[in-house]
Amino acid sequence: MAGHDNGSVLQFAPFQSSVDEGFWHRLSSLKLNQLGIDESPIFITGFYAPCSHSQVSNHLTLLGESLPPEPSAQSSHLSLRSGNRNRCSVPGILYNTNTLESFQALDKQSLMKAEAKKIWEDIHSGRAEQESSVLSRFLLISFADLKSWKFYYSFAFPALVLDPPAMITSLKPASQCFSLEEADSLTAVCNEWRNSSTTADVPFFLVSIDSNSHATIRHLKDWEVCRSDGYKLLFGFYDPCHLPNNPGWPLRNFIAFICSRWNLQKIRFFCYREHRGFADLGLSLVGEALISVSQEWKLHKHIPKAVGWEVNKGKKTRCITLANSMDPIKLAVSAAELNLKLMRWRALPSLDLHMLSATKCLLLGAGTLGCQVARMLMAWGVRKITLVDSGKVSMSNPLRQSLYTLEDCLNGGEYKALAAVKSLKQIFPAVEADGIVMAIPMPGHPVPSQDEHDVLEDCRRLQDLIDSHDAVFLLTDTRESRWLPTLLSSNANKITITAALGFDSFLVMRHGAGPLVDYRSESMSALSAELGNFSLADRDKRPRLGCYFCSDVVAPIDSTSNRTLDQQCTVTRPGLAPIASALAVELLVGILHHPHRIFAKAEFANSMDNGSTEQPLGILPHQIRGSLSQFSQMTLVGHSSSSCTACCSIVVNEFHNRKMDFVLEAINHPTYLEDLTGLTELKEAANSFDLDWDNDIDDDDECVEI
Amino acid sequence: MNFVLLHYLLLKGGRDATLLLFSGLGFVPRGLVLQLVEGYLCLQNILIPRGTQDNCCDEASANNSKEEPCFDGEDDPIDNATLVQSSDGEAHYYDFHIVYSNSYRVPVLYFRGYCIDGQPLVLDDIEKDLPANSSKILTESKWTFITQEEHPYLNRPWYTLHPCGTCEWMKLLYANKAPMVKGVPVDQYIISWFSVVGQVIGLRTPLEMMRS
Repeated sequence: MAGHDNGSVLQFAPFQSSVDEGFWHRLSSLKLNQLGIDESPIFITGFYAPCSHSQVSNHLTLLGESLPPEPSAQSSHLSLRSGNRNRCSVPGILYNTNTLESFQALDKQSLMKAEAKKIWEDIHSGRAEQESSVLSRFLLISFADLKSWKFYYSFAFPALVLDPPAMITSLKPASQCFSLEEADSLTAVCNEWRNSSTTADVPFFLVSIDSNSHATIRHLKDWEVCRSDGYKLLFGFYDPCHLPNNPGWPLRNFIAFICSRWNLQKIRFFCYREHRGFADLGLSLVGEALISVSQEWKLHKHIPKAVGWEVNKGKKTRCITLANSMDPIKLAVSAAELNLKLMRWRALPSLDLHMLSATKCLLLGAGTLGCQVARMLMAWGVRKITLVDSGKVSMSNPLRQSLYTLEDCLNGGEYKALAAVKSLKQIFPAVEADGIVMAIPMPGHPVPSQDEHDVLEDCRRLQDLIDSHDAVFLLTDTRESRWLPTLLSSNANKITITAALGFDSFLVMRHGAGPLVDYRSESMSALSAELGNFSLADRDKRPRLGCYFCSDVVAPIDSTSNRTLDQQCTVTRPGLAPIASALAVELLVGILHHPHRIFAKAEFANSMDNGSTEQPLGILPHQIRGSLSQFSQMTLVGHSSSSCTACCSIVVNEFHNRKMDFVLEAINHPTYLEDLTGLTELKEAANSFDLDWDNDIDDDDECVEI
Repeated sequence: MNFVLLHYLLLKGGRDATLLLFSGLGFVPRGLVLQLVEGYLCLQNILIPRGTQDNCCDEASANNSKEEPCFDGEDDPIDNATLVQSSDGEAHYYDFHIVYSNSYRVPVLYFRGYCIDGQPLVLDDIEKDLPANSSKILTESKWTFITQEEHPYLNRPWYTLHPCGTCEWMKLLYANKAPMVKGVPVDQYIISWFSVVGQVIGLRTPLEMMRS
């Protein structure tokens, strides 16, 4: 835009805003801790600095410090946060509403008018000469949604409109408008002005260049002196804009001030810009504007119109969402994920965190084992956990069952399954936990005919639960309660893990694959590549790993009635349950990462034979039996028995064919299972086995008659 | 070592050197930027100018506008003294802080990226801003990974290069220095530290700093 003699309308580059995240954090805490529903306007401070880059304009910035610090009464007059050379303070006002509707209903025109009036007052009262930054005062309206952490806002930089507008007759880089000496002198005094703590944040000033090419910068209040000097005079200001053909927004009100206060019609202005922290006369501009407003316009009582709502991408309102850095739940989730990721990066690159978070785990039993297993699963990043338990929390539970507190025991006690879920969510809000209050039907506890329907319902429900999850944990406190889940799991070929406690010993094991799996089926074809060297015959002949019942020669019976008192309370050493639960979860993670998963063969500790697939998580045993009295652990294997009452093919096939009728019969007549599987025959055969004891004992002397 | 050491960087080279220090590939300091604040060094508002390509800010605002309630009211007057600017692709801004970690006893780099309206950038977007060899270093090295941690002074989540490996690779860096005297001069330490860390996030350490 070269100089035109007749001039053209002087166009100003609009001010742009930049709001630091810290501003919203501070506003949120101000709202929550102090203001509450108070909607009165808040005095804030904006910061800007002269442009320092040839391609990018500077912005008016809001930071956390922009908001008032002290909770006590706000003064009605301004107390500007002090600036420095990087931040020139500018007064502003914030209207923050409590609802989106009231935000939309704000009368933007009248708010703008009110700010324009303040500027006009400051000009006419002389305040602008003392504190020139008031010429750039701004307005911010916002709505802070503290539930979704979304912030809607609009900025306005009120500029008094000259009527008719100012015309520009010349605009050039400052370096072209001064002699070399003048330029050097000006650069020097500008840098001095910017370096001194008393003037660094004064954004409007007078530049006076005497006949010796010596420049000085003076405050606006020195106007009379400068005028009488008669030297070359320019009106300087910190220009945030970088454009070569347009001055920045602050010049608008500066010109309005100059023409109405000092009655000038020709204004030579200096747009001060920097490069890398130093005055740069190549970027800075010098221009000349012609003002032709009427005397009427300058009258104090006629407040000029104002424009200046900030437009961004065609819209006046902006919205940002800070949920990721403010929502405590999101923060908890990302911290948890970070932990697991660190494990993956530093130690276990093959850890599959996505798979873990997608695995659905069903926990049958929410007692000492169930609570610990649930916690461990969450620590591994498992998010989908369902707990099944028919009991209520009793007074002795919180000590050993780590999800419950005293509160859960009061008033008869909460249902365990529900209390556990509540507790899990308090630990980690992003968990998807479900609690089911239900009893598991058990063989040996015959069902009265009026309850048959309900019990069968429970059976079906259990089957649905098992079918809809990826891994099942059997964590109940009786042997017989594990029968039906084992059968259903076997039928559905689900990864199943049993943990069982003695007084000072425990068993943790994974059940083998179900008998119905067609080894030639599609699910196996993916494995066949890995099984590689094994011949087809081997694969078919390889025995399945056993389940919890495979080594038993008796069917599950009622173990709870006719027990002595000490047998009724499951008495175990407290350390056992946490150990067993932890092992159960680690075992699951191992299975999930094993290429063969449920079909993985048994591995043993300290064995030479674990070569072929060295898993990063280590070996994958079938059974772990541990003893606290010895502080020892053993890894064992138990193959499936063809007479197993829970998982042999006879039983599973029978279930497959007769479904709930079969289950009911098994529940009501435990000998039925023994007959079906041939255990009855086996026992009879054993009983009839004649042992021929050798009665010839030579070493009579060793024996003592009792 | 405490935060006084961080002073060295600032005092040693003065403002110019530090500005030089931080103008690496495409990073542009806006105004005087490096200062010592309450125990950590910060470098604010580093700009990455972007072209008119789509970026997160555009997408974020596009998503917002779908759910956002309608805000059109009466149009405020735009007068002819206002320059109407076309909106280019928005630039990304970065802040870098160097904080001393008491538990790891090494300096740690914290950083965050954001659009001009304050909308923070997610890690995926930041990674797109990094120069190509940075991403290579990040994925291949087992000592440098970007995690999100709470900034020790500002109490907000910032991205950081996790410090757990710093001690090890600093030792490697000085492994060939013979003989190992009682430790390394403090300012040298931080420049060496920065020469590694800076590479990861695309900041270059100019030779001038190395020589002094």
